[in-house]
Amino acid sequence: MTSRPEFSAQTLSVLAALCDQPSGWQHGYALAKQTGLKSGTLYPILIRLCDRGLVEARWQDEPQPGRPRRHRYRLTSAGLASAAQALGGAAERAAELAAAKAARKVRAGTRPAPRGAVAGSTP
Amino acid sequence: MGKWARMTAAVRRGGAWLLPAGRRDWVAAVWAEAREVPPGLTRLAWRAGGVWMLAREALMPRRLGRTLLFAAAAAATAWVTWPQPWAGHIAEGRFDAIAPALLVVAVLPLMSVRLFGPASPSRVARSIRVLCGATVLTLVSAFTVMDAYDQRAPRQPAYLRVFCGPNCPGAVPRQGRGGPTWQAEILIMLLIIGYVSATLFLTSRRAGLARSTLVISIGTGLLFGAVMFAVDPLGVTNLATNPWLPGSAADPLVALAWVLLFGGPAAAAVLAGRRYRGPDGVEPPHTVRFSQGAAAGLLANGLAAMVTSVLGAGTVLLISRSPGLVHWVTPGRHLTAIATYRYQLNTGGNAGGYLLMLMFFPVIGLIMSTLAAGIANPAPRQSDSPGSGGGPPGPEPEPGPEPPGGGRAEADRVPALT
Repeated sequence: MTSRPEFSAQTLSVLAALCDQPSGWQHGYALAKQTGLKSGTLYPILIRLCDRGLVEARWQDEPQPGRPRRHRYRLTSAGLASAAQALGGAAERAAELAAAKAARKVRAGTRPAPRGAVAGSTP
Repeated sequence: MGKWARMTAAVRRGGAWLLPAGRRDWVAAVWAEAREVPPGLTRLAWRAGGVWMLAREALMPRRLGRTLLFAAAAAATAWVTWPQPWAGHIAEGRFDAIAPALLVVAVLPLMSVRLFGPASPSRVARSIRVLCGATVLTLVSAFTVMDAYDQRAPRQPAYLRVFCGPNCPGAVPRQGRGGPTWQAEILIMLLIIGYVSATLFLTSRRAGLARSTLVISIGTGLLFGAVMFAVDPLGVTNLATNPWLPGSAADPLVALAWVLLFGGPAAAAVLAGRRYRGPDGVEPPHTVRFSQGAAAGLLANGLAAMVTSVLGAGTVLLISRSPGLVHWVTPGRHLTAIATYRYQLNTGGNAGGYLLMLMFFPVIGLIMSTLAAGIANPAPRQSDSPGSGGGPPGPEPEPGPEPPGGGRAEADRVPALT
């Protein structure tokens, strides 16, 4: 039985987006654009990652004139390690799945002839 | 700022108060970010996502479930204690009697988070808490209903004679026939507060009771509670046990109840001590095993008292509300309306016995489990250590290095229980 992955696919996409700029701060809308997630999905994921100490959140120090301060996010060192491991694991799993699929295809191609078929009778 | 924007900002600020303090910033973050989103439907969808997040965080399924459960329990309590015509008189509702109990069940769990920390992350611990709340509300409802009926004399002479008994002074109805005094009500309230607090503590993370300990306690408590309910289904009285028990003290079920009263907590203490494993599977010191065992026995008998009280007081309540049920507990006997009324009055008076169970069962449980846990987990003697047999005493062993942080080693950490 395979073990349950630690992060969901959406969480992995958020981690991947944050990994793009490991030391830089990113805003919510930018993350939403990168991941394709809606705000109602993205922010709960960010909340959980912050609760687990994997993501750091901070308000902008100097807002643009006439605009409210924005929230910024980046991976903590623990988050970076965890993301690297999870994304590596996900890549491995994807590679395993692709290999298994290819092997199935190969097996299907070399499947023995059905019973009753005479060897060498194929045209 | 336009009127619309001001209104939505006010709604957003109000909505944020539904969230715990640590979550409110997130709502502001979604709203602030909305300014970066292209106007139109995209921005509307972004804000709708914020509202969705607010609703999800404010109404987390577990919190919503707890709130709904409490609301249902409060509604049921109010319905049960609602005044109804009975035996020729209308009993007065005693909402002043149920309000403090509802307050205790609602407020103490919130306070306990500050005092004892969050609940133990186990479904068993949460079930024990629900059982405790149900016990309090059922008992208070039963007492409230019975007292309300008990303190108003019926108008019909035939019922009045039953109500007053043989010393009834003619047809003059008395107001008040005993009922709990204000001292008794204070005592009941203190008992309820003590029970709820002890249950909240024992099922909190700070108490450090293992899941196995909780499971053993609830198993023992449910078994003993079921047996005890079969023995005393309608309060503590021989009359009430007559329907399905011959009333003999030597009845096997009564004997089993006595065995479980003293033996149950002892067995639970020994089992809980043996089954306990440290956080990383390390062998825990005997003090930890002892405290787990002692707590298991206390909890087992406390739970048994709660189960018996919930079932018993619930049956008393049902009988008081629907006289037809009296025939169910007295199979094979034809009861007249007056006899049914007498049965109801007697049963209500006997329900007070459950309070005695709630008071004494946990004490007996704690004594028995402490004794059993002490015997099963003796302190290691000095002579048991290697190299100490015979001969002169050797030099004192070097003290071990202090664990980092100045605290005790993990294996020596004893849950704050005893």
